[in-house]
Amino acid sequence: MKQVADITTEVRRLDPALPLWLGVGAATAAVGIAGAVALASTQEHGWGRLLESYLVSFALFLALTLGALFFVMLQHITRAGWSVVVRRIAETLACNAWLMAVLAIPVVLGMDHLYHWSHVEAAAHDPVLVGKMGFLNPTFFVIRLGIYFLIWGLLAWFFHRTSVRQDTTLDPKLTVRMERAAGPGLVLFALSANFAAFDLLMSLDPHWFSTIFGVYYFAVSVVTFFAVMPKILVSLQWKGVLSRAVTVEHFHDLGKLLFAFNVFWAYIAFSQYMLIWYGNIPEETQWYLKRQTGDWAWVSLALLVFHFIIPFLVLVSRAVKRRPRLLAFTGSYMVVMCWLDLYWLVIPEFSPGSVRFGLIDVFCFLGVAGVYTLALTFRLKRHSLIAEGDPRLQESMAFHTA
Amino acid sequence: MSATTVDTRALLDNTTDDPRRRAPLVLNHTEFGFVTDTVCGVVERTTPRSWYIAFAAALLMTGVMFAMITYLITTGIGVWGIQVPVGWGFAIVNFVFWVGIGHAGTLISAILFLLRQKWRTSINRFAEGMTIFAVVCAGIFPGIHVGRMWVAYWLFPVPNQMQMWPNFRSPLLWDVFAVGTYATVSLLFWYMGMIPDLATLRDRATTRLRWFVYGVLSLGWRSSNRHWHRFEMAYLLLAALATPLVLSVHSVVSFDFAVSIIPGWHTTIFPPYFVAGAIFSGFAMVVTLVIPTRHFFKLGEIITLRHLENMSKIMLATGMMVGLAYSTEFFIAWYSGNAYESFTFLNRAFGPYAWAYWIMVTCNVVVPQIFWSKRMRTNLVVMWIASILINVGMWFERFVIVVSSLSRDYLPTSWGYYRPTIIDVLTFAGSFGLFFTLFLLFVRFLPIIGMAEVKGVMPAALHGEPGHGDYHGDVVERVGRRGGAR
Amino acid sequence: MSRHQKQPDAGGSYGYLVAFDSVEQLLQAAARVRDAGYTRWDAHTPFVVHGLDAAMGIRPTILPYLVFTGGLTGTTCGILLQWFTNAHDYPFLISGKPIFSLPANIPVAFEMTILFAALTALVGMLALNLLPQLAHPLHGSRSFKRATDDRFFISIEARDPIFDPVATRELLESLGGSAVEEVPG
Repeated sequence: MKQVADITTEVRRLDPALPLWLGVGAATAAVGIAGAVALASTQEHGWGRLLESYLVSFALFLALTLGALFFVMLQHITRAGWSVVVRRIAETLACNAWLMAVLAIPVVLGMDHLYHWSHVEAAAHDPVLVGKMGFLNPTFFVIRLGIYFLIWGLLAWFFHRTSVRQDTTLDPKLTVRMERAAGPGLVLFALSANFAAFDLLMSLDPHWFSTIFGVYYFAVSVVTFFAVMPKILVSLQWKGVLSRAVTVEHFHDLGKLLFAFNVFWAYIAFSQYMLIWYGNIPEETQWYLKRQTGDWAWVSLALLVFHFIIPFLVLVSRAVKRRPRLLAFTGSYMVVMCWLDLYWLVIPEFSPGSVRFGLIDVFCFLGVAGVYTLALTFRLKRHSLIAEGDPRLQESMAFHTA
Repeated sequence: MSATTVDTRALLDNTTDDPRRRAPLVLNHTEFGFVTDTVCGVVERTTPRSWYIAFAAALLMTGVMFAMITYLITTGIGVWGIQVPVGWGFAIVNFVFWVGIGHAGTLISAILFLLRQKWRTSINRFAEGMTIFAVVCAGIFPGIHVGRMWVAYWLFPVPNQMQMWPNFRSPLLWDVFAVGTYATVSLLFWYMGMIPDLATLRDRATTRLRWFVYGVLSLGWRSSNRHWHRFEMAYLLLAALATPLVLSVHSVVSFDFAVSIIPGWHTTIFPPYFVAGAIFSGFAMVVTLVIPTRHFFKLGEIITLRHLENMSKIMLATGMMVGLAYSTEFFIAWYSGNAYESFTFLNRAFGPYAWAYWIMVTCNVVVPQIFWSKRMRTNLVVMWIASILINVGMWFERFVIVVSSLSRDYLPTSWGYYRPTIIDVLTFAGSFGLFFTLFLLFVRFLPIIGMAEVKGVMPAALHGEPGHGDYHGDVVERVGRRGGAR
Repeated sequence: MSRHQKQPDAGGSYGYLVAFDSVEQLLQAAARVRDAGYTRWDAHTPFVVHGLDAAMGIRPTILPYLVFTGGLTGTTCGILLQWFTNAHDYPFLISGKPIFSLPANIPVAFEMTILFAALTALVGMLALNLLPQLAHPLHGSRSFKRATDDRFFISIEARDPIFDPVATRELLESLGGSAVEEVPG
């Protein structure tokens, strides 16, 4: 018989890890922001490059947030038992939707630079863009972003607040309520995430269109989320937090899901590429042409090898998934790959032919990551790190994969 | 059974939502022998007369199909309604429809296995069988569509009298490999899972013939744990292989359309959208079959109301995915700024095939919405009717895709209107005969529920470990208050 | 009393068989047989019993590696088949696609991977289990028929190096199962 940890003796507050998290978050944010601003103000076209790179990092952390929100709702709707011990962290990650709403402000302010369609005069001479003006115009874009963030923020807030309330009330009815809300929640999520992908990323090339694009961004989101989770858990356990409640079995399952969704990502990416490559219609292939010519061809190949083939071979192994530190390392590596994927989606639109990767991209990533970590830390420290009132907590702690 | 005098609904209801405990998966019984007796009983008792009636009807329909095929071969493909510009008619619609039906079986046996959904054990054998019969029906249609079916082996890379090889850059050839692999893997997954249950039938055999046939089929299985150990690993590996396979099969089927440049066909969302639709229709077919079978053979304590409720939920979820794909396609058709794209979709909704389009939308998007209500999810009559409507809708989805795009090509001069002939309709109807013939044989001669798997999720099998994976406990307590469930 | 009747020897008897009513009893019994050092013995259960592999001390199977190899073979064959037929033996241009073009070759290569791997999984499982084996001494036991229904068995073969007609029987009798049955070879 397996000995089940006792939740009351578990270290389940962030406090032991708090100084480290705050320190790392603040330092990363400071270095990132300072570096990015310094480079932007000294380089030629620096502010434009900053904005482009910012969109990449913004899209990455938005993906993480959306992935977490999806995970939380999925666990409720399927009445999952195994994941209770890791769900609070996902709930908190999802709550960063509010932070992402604030971080969207530079994107909106930089719309002029980022989105060609926002130049109303220029668009008026382009027959294709004229047709889309009813949708792709600055006002409606901002309204839509507002609606998306309202949906995500409210959903995240609802699931976090209800779950936190259950910590003290221990009321199983709250579980049922969250399960009921998850259904309509997922519908709203699917619609908003789908269109957000069209708005934020696909419309960078306003002539290009792909119906699968929303699913592609969804795949990126879920992969990013499962890539980040092991790292968060390992760094908590390093400070003795959640070291017994979260077992190797939970890591194993997170690893399996990371593996599965990475294959899903490859499937979606291949489907999109294959259909456009085979159909060979100029208005579609021009998007891939940009990514297949010059230096970008190497990035495309790198994605195939380093985002799919190598992680596939690493994560297929049971041994890797059952070693939390190794899994956390693989996860961190996957985050970098997800970043590269988004970089590959965004930057060729501004720099066709040359990859021009630079320090500013690193600083941008660090800046957003630091701010994101700080916001996460402040919210995490207010509550228990485990949904300890969940009626399925015992099941989750005693869980082991068959 | 004596249960008819009791309020059967209360007895069989395990759909209550109490997150503090897992609902039991086998109702009212805790002993393993109950499962053996119930499932083997279906095969062992004398054949009911109603089975003969149903079998005769199904056989008759099968005969109709083969008569139509004979007529087709002896006369020519002109007996069908296909004509320029609609060169793909019923045959391709039926092919996609039947392949799609099969997908639920693999979802239940492989994907739900990987996701540790233990409720799948009551329905997986059944659904896997359905997969194979559906793939058999599917395989017939492209086979008879090729025109000179006596040289259909040109599809395979074997040296032939033309001294040529098949074109591997054609999605139609990918289909041959995808569907061929799918049929093979489904068959071996199904058979492998059945080996222990065939051994049970062997050990219970009362006649020499049964003992011999089930004995050979069960390969001498002796329940050895050293065997079980590798068996379980093989099952896990097959599930892990069947999961990407099932996604690939309908993706490849969607490539048949999507690699072309025909508006309404060439769209990148097709692969995942076809997969969601396939699972949607497949689950509907499982529900259509399982409700009468469960009623007829009194399997309500193993295939419980909760199982059916879960299936309703999956139908709702996949129906929503299909609905999202419809609306995304529609939106992007406008957004693309491409006149042909936007025309195609307006034509679908308001053109000559608008009737088919709206049948599709009603059945696939509107009808499943009733499953938001728990009362509907647990009402067998509603569920059964809805499942049939969904199948109708999914057939029309393929009809809309195939016919509406072809009938309105780039050139208005080559527009046309496709009308199926009676031969088309009878061939399609006959394929249901074949499907039901195979299904009825399966029900009669093979274990329709995976006994070994159901036993493995009963509380007595979990040797008291709390929260063992997806722990479904507390049967005894539940049985104690069986009267008060409603 | 049966102990002093005819004793099995390596030539005439398959071994001993004992039955249990519950999974718990079986697990405890299996652990004791394992600890006693037997190697040619087995448990027989109507379904997969979790924890029994550990209680019996069964080591992980090599099947995953076989399947992985099978899958790789499938990929290679799929690619080679397409290269040979369309790019080497009878190259022809069609729809502006390259003679040998990886994107168009992926679906068939993928399907061949799955096909080979799946066939390896089934055939490999049967081969490692030495199945089919239609005739086996255990099938001669009437009580053993319930191994596919609702009872749990442990069998120890007479060929086991530490098998002893008396001591093995005593061990089995002490496990709390049914009366020990001798299975003729």
